[in-house]
Amino acid sequence: MRRTMAACTTLLVAALSAACATSGQTQTKQADQNAPATLSFWSTGGDDETATFQKAADLYHQKHPNVTIKVQTLSWSDAYAKLLAAATSRSGPDIISGGMTWTIQFGARGAMVDLRKHGSDALKAQALPAQWESAVSPDGSVYGVPLDMSTMALYYRTDLLEKAKVEPPKTWEELTAAIDKLKAAGVKKPYSQDWGNLDWIGYFNYLYQAGGSFYTPDCKPSLDTPQAEQALTAWADLYRKHGAPTATVEGSDALDTGTAMVVAGNWIAKGIDINKPKLKGKWGMTTMPAGPAGPTTFIGGRAVGVTSFSKYVKTAADFVTFMYTDEAIAAITDEARKRNISYIPPRPDKIVNGSVFTPEQAKVFEASIRTGKAAPGCPGWDESASDVAKQLQSVILGKSDVKTALAEAAKVMQRNAG
Amino acid sequence: MASPIPLRSRLRRYGTSYAMLLPFLALFAGFLIWPLANSLYLSFTTFDGINPAAFVGLDNFRQLAEDDRFRHALGNTGLYVVGSVVIGTLLSLGLALAFNGTGWAHRIMRTVFFLPSVTSSIALMLMWKWVLFPSDVGLANTIMHWFGGKDVAWLATPGLAIPILVMMSVWGGMGYGMVLYVAGLGAIPQEYYEAARIDGASTWAQFRHITLPLLRPVTTYVVVTGLIGAFQVFEAVYIVFQTGANNVGGVLDSGLMIVPYLYDQGFTHFKLGYASAIAWVLFLIIFVLSLVNLRAGRAMKEL
Repeated sequence: MRRTMAACTTLLVAALSAACATSGQTQTKQADQNAPATLSFWSTGGDDETATFQKAADLYHQKHPNVTIKVQTLSWSDAYAKLLAAATSRSGPDIISGGMTWTIQFGARGAMVDLRKHGSDALKAQALPAQWESAVSPDGSVYGVPLDMSTMALYYRTDLLEKAKVEPPKTWEELTAAIDKLKAAGVKKPYSQDWGNLDWIGYFNYLYQAGGSFYTPDCKPSLDTPQAEQALTAWADLYRKHGAPTATVEGSDALDTGTAMVVAGNWIAKGIDINKPKLKGKWGMTTMPAGPAGPTTFIGGRAVGVTSFSKYVKTAADFVTFMYTDEAIAAITDEARKRNISYIPPRPDKIVNGSVFTPEQAKVFEASIRTGKAAPGCPGWDESASDVAKQLQSVILGKSDVKTALAEAAKVMQRNAG
Repeated sequence: MASPIPLRSRLRRYGTSYAMLLPFLALFAGFLIWPLANSLYLSFTTFDGINPAAFVGLDNFRQLAEDDRFRHALGNTGLYVVGSVVIGTLLSLGLALAFNGTGWAHRIMRTVFFLPSVTSSIALMLMWKWVLFPSDVGLANTIMHWFGGKDVAWLATPGLAIPILVMMSVWGGMGYGMVLYVAGLGAIPQEYYEAARIDGASTWAQFRHITLPLLRPVTTYVVVTGLIGAFQVFEAVYIVFQTGANNVGGVLDSGLMIVPYLYDQGFTHFKLGYASAIAWVLFLIIFVLSLVNLRAGRAMKEL
């Protein structure tokens, strides 16, 4: 008993000391901006992508010999936790890149610099308005700017479509008709979704293509509309009636294992011919089938921003601006082409011009992006996204009906909006 | 009652021992007690990892009581713990009884079953992910095809999530339990069995009345450590079932467990105070269950 008491007392005393030891944030003292500086840029993605951004950093070094920027890779799986650890200890990178809303999340907690004070307006004019909006915080702060873009397309097997005498579908109706024809022609796997499968991103396309949206322009949840219902019914029917698999198979694997049409991200386009040599000459791609309100497609990408604990805020922000220049984009694109990886610059005027993709592929992505929309930037969306996805899944798996699921999703969004 | 030894003479007598314990104590205090105390304090705050923590009393715990996802995670974890501990313990005992000999064949079999315990759990989970991959990319579905079966969405069928997690846990852990049981079996004096045989006891009676009761300390250990490990399951869910940044528990949260939920809240939603509260609730659950288990083991021994 005495031992238990002693252990409890020790823990309590330590907890109280922990409470007393918690200190507030302090402003990071800025280093002499003219002295030689080495900046650290934590880039979320793969090593090949890091190497492409390093080319821009090297170019910046040539122009500013005093400044060296080292780009390091953070893998998607643990980047967020590592960035949080850096923000908590207020040490680590000067520049970070990651998911579009990450900089907003870190910025809202004081870990990022508002780039409006460092000339982000010049970048706004060059960026795609739809993507820019999703990088801006609800209060208007710009804690991160788009670093690149990603979008999706409908990839298809030309041989299987020819066999079923089907043209690549351009509308929802054509898509379901194509699935039926492919099935009739003996194609066992007519259609699947890679990016966005069973997730809100998959529904996003249908929602906007039906003329709906997650939020109204003043950030009120707007899932109680006929458009949202029509979209969810059409999307869920792809699984319920037309046999789209609930299990996610990576796009190029799906094509390789006999799936006729796959919705997948732009990043698979570069690798299919190399990773799946059997598919060479047997696949094509087109924009997503359009709905009653048009072909709106999801636009993702990464945001890049400057940490508030950097000792070189001005230099780091200058480098972020530099990444939008023609020469920086050319350096990144060249390296991406050499490494055979996907890269869509954040400037719409550069999507086709000098693209890493073939001109035909670049045109498909450009068309998707021109009419695209990005993730909602409304307060509480990040907290709600997983719950919204669960509600959508419950419809697909027959556990709930469309109306109830959308009402539940809207309720969560309302609650998290604060 | 003996009078207490004066501090000075105690120091003279044990001073060197205390000094030698100091490095361990410093590390223990710095890397265990201090973080533990911090998490206890943080569980009463709204700490977001970056801004100073604001004290909110029991709010986090109240919120937990009303949190549907936490309740769901708790229910899933309960099912998983029961499944993996019961099946794991029974299979460990079965394997130990089957392979407790000293011959080469038994030694090789023991090594084979023990191998998953010495392999990195991350590597094992990546292997399972590959096995359960959808379509004919995955081994499980390829085997299904050989026998004329259809594709199964192993990781996207809510009803399969817990059985798959239990299977992965049992497969990975039964070798470890087997080794403990083999050691336990070796410690049972053979005379008991001889006496039982002379008295005409059947093999089942010998197992029921000699082996099982004498293996009780081993069983208690296997169950308690299994219980603690099962409550803390993380890699299996995080690696095998996570299908996106927003989907830590798999489809419809079918594989959501307490620790992955804690990680999700703390490290992707900046709710470190709330995550600390989850950690302390988990600690209390494990503490109480382990205590009950130990007491039950002791009470049964006294019977």
